Amino acid sequence: MTVTEDALAKGVELLKPWTEETNVPEKGRTDVILRPENLLAAVDVLHREPWGHLTSITGLDLGVDAGEIEVLYHFRRQAAVLGLRVRTPRDAASVASIWDILPSASFMEREMSEMLGVDVVGMPPHGRLFLADDWPEGAYPLRKDFSPEEAAQQRPAEDRPGDAAEKPQRFIIPIGPQHPALKEPGHFEFCVDGEIITSASARLGYAHRGIEKATEARTWVQDLYLLERVCGICSHIHAMTYCQGVEKLAGIEVPPRARAIRTLMAELERVHSHMLWLGVGAHEAGFDTLFMYAWRDRETVMDLLESLSGNRVNYSANLLGGVKFDVGDGQIKAVLDGADILEKRLHHYLDVATTDESFLIRTQGIGTMTQQQAEVLGTVGPTARASGVTRDLRLDAPYAAYPDFPVKPVVASGGDLLARFVVRIEELFESLRVVRALVQNLPEGDLAVRVPTKIPEGETVSCSEAPRGELYYYIESGGADKPERIKVRTPTLANWGAVLSTVVGCQLADVPMVLAGIDPCFSCNDRMVRLRTESSGRRLWSWEELRRYGIEYYRCKTSAT
Amino acid sequence: MADPLHQAASVLKNWARRTSPWAVHYNSGSCNGCDIEILATFTPRYDVERLGIKLQGSPRHADLLIVTGAVTRQSRERLLRIYEQMPEPKHVVAVGSGAICGGVFRGCYNCLGGVDQVVPVDAYVPGCPPRPQAIIDGLVKLLRGARNSADPPAGDKGSGSGDGAGL
Repeated sequence: MTVTEDALAKGVELLKPWTEETNVPEKGRTDVILRPENLLAAVDVLHREPWGHLTSITGLDLGVDAGEIEVLYHFRRQAAVLGLRVRTPRDAASVASIWDILPSASFMEREMSEMLGVDVVGMPPHGRLFLADDWPEGAYPLRKDFSPEEAAQQRPAEDRPGDAAEKPQRFIIPIGPQHPALKEPGHFEFCVDGEIITSASARLGYAHRGIEKATEARTWVQDLYLLERVCGICSHIHAMTYCQGVEKLAGIEVPPRARAIRTLMAELERVHSHMLWLGVGAHEAGFDTLFMYAWRDRETVMDLLESLSGNRVNYSANLLGGVKFDVGDGQIKAVLDGADILEKRLHHYLDVATTDESFLIRTQGIGTMTQQQAEVLGTVGPTARASGVTRDLRLDAPYAAYPDFPVKPVVASGGDLLARFVVRIEELFESLRVVRALVQNLPEGDLAVRVPTKIPEGETVSCSEAPRGELYYYIESGGADKPERIKVRTPTLANWGAVLSTVVGCQLADVPMVLAGIDPCFSCNDRMVRLRTESSGRRLWSWEELRRYGIEYYRCKTSAT
Repeated sequence: MADPLHQAASVLKNWARRTSPWAVHYNSGSCNGCDIEILATFTPRYDVERLGIKLQGSPRHADLLIVTGAVTRQSRERLLRIYEQMPEPKHVVAVGSGAICGGVFRGCYNCLGGVDQVVPVDAYVPGCPPRPQAIIDGLVKLLRGARNSADPPAGDKGSGSGDGAGL
């Protein structure tokens, strides 16, 4: 038995007391069907073992006729994916919240609840995460009978009751959605005690466009272009993960040369994405010189991406069944030369990030996340690896050309911002090594094979290591020329829990750095913290009240010590 | 009306506005593709600071609003608020297919369409995403076309066609 089979067998064994039925939908995956009342016990036993981490929660509307909603909880242990499936009636949909056991589930549960109208019992009080404040009650976009026209016409009758009514008298600093520290729209509210953050919440959804629903109305090929635009920074990996999933469903083997070119683009994309982050991270620290230098040098990799694909962003390299372009000798030379320049510059940046005193003051020991926290909060990608959690799908479940061109794990143990800088930069040396190996040993052969317009019925989970971590696609086909359901779980969603908990206890001035530390990508994510309305516990302080509160506060503080 | 002092002050003000426009950037629901290209436009290779254009944080100090992305339902009010906070005269640049008409996201349940559905737009920069050169081109055309008026009438904004009016 392989390690994966072992892991799955172990999982099935653990879940035996509550199992109704077991299915094996594809290699490396096992689904366990449970009764809804046994969900908590099952999740608890997996968590105690511990058997891997929660990858995603996917809700499926089985349609009006079936009258049921199915909720899937996918756990991953390296290459093994274990799915827990529960069904609940459509007209009174509810499942128990696993938030108590796995805090990382909270954003996923909120998303699923908003999109499918499933009541998640036992979640802490919360507001909306993705849908707009003026979105009508009772309209659930991912239900099959949802009509966008109706939702567009409906306006809410009045303000919904606030979710913060039980938290009076807090001093809240709102940040975003338009804020110099954020390059993208998200709204955060930080409760502060003096300069120290005591709690944090987020309201996302400013860039929520409704892509998952839109995929159901477009053909498999049209979806490729749509999904590439889930995110402009990591566009290639989205398209690639989608293609790999569809190809699996169609039972198609992609030629080795196409796999190598996909991997080449993915690694170059990682270089551009991490260098972009290095600049933005430095900018948040007030180190604009490093920002400008990093972005200047990033143009080297942008030129490479452009010379290979014709585009600087949204490379459109993928086709269902392969890739669109070949790589010639001139391009290979350009890639090798570019890699040399980048490597030299990256050594310099690593040196700056680890030795510049004023920069170290902003990164060392800031926003620290221990290995245990990183595990419990379900973090992925460089954020997890900076806390000593070796989680990298390129190693754990190699896809595309990674079986032939393996990457070495890059892990740091610090868990602070400094470690996140070091991990990302060192990861790039590894990426450049793989890039060189790829262009020097490109396999010969075709670039693409034909894929039918109608994809055979079935469902699959397709995952890959995006620059920000594990990217998860759940693709279901009903045998038509359009998908039945596509669920995307982006790495940023998995990392939000981490950032919101590590920020507690930080100085307010460190917030932009800590937020940037996970390299958040709102566009990816928004496909989540709510703007509180006046009725909901926000209080306007008069100057006199504030002054009196201040005097009172410090009097209490001095008498306490 | 030909008060020479007033006229001279007006010419001076317009020159100052045209040569040092401050920009505020808002992503109203973009995929980030345009945003990273806009940021690239402000970094050394493309460097629009040559033209006096500076990216800064507050809408209250801004002359230019650079918007990317199809406007989402949640972003609409925020976009309006940012626009309203900007002092006159102000100009809006819609960057990318999303900001022009919704682009690939047209028809998604949470997208309202282009930026001009919410605020008046002076210049459109097409592309998905546009290259930095295209963004610079759009900005230059807008600045060339900026009218010489301290108080532009509503609905009669510079068209961005680069006819040089007011220069």
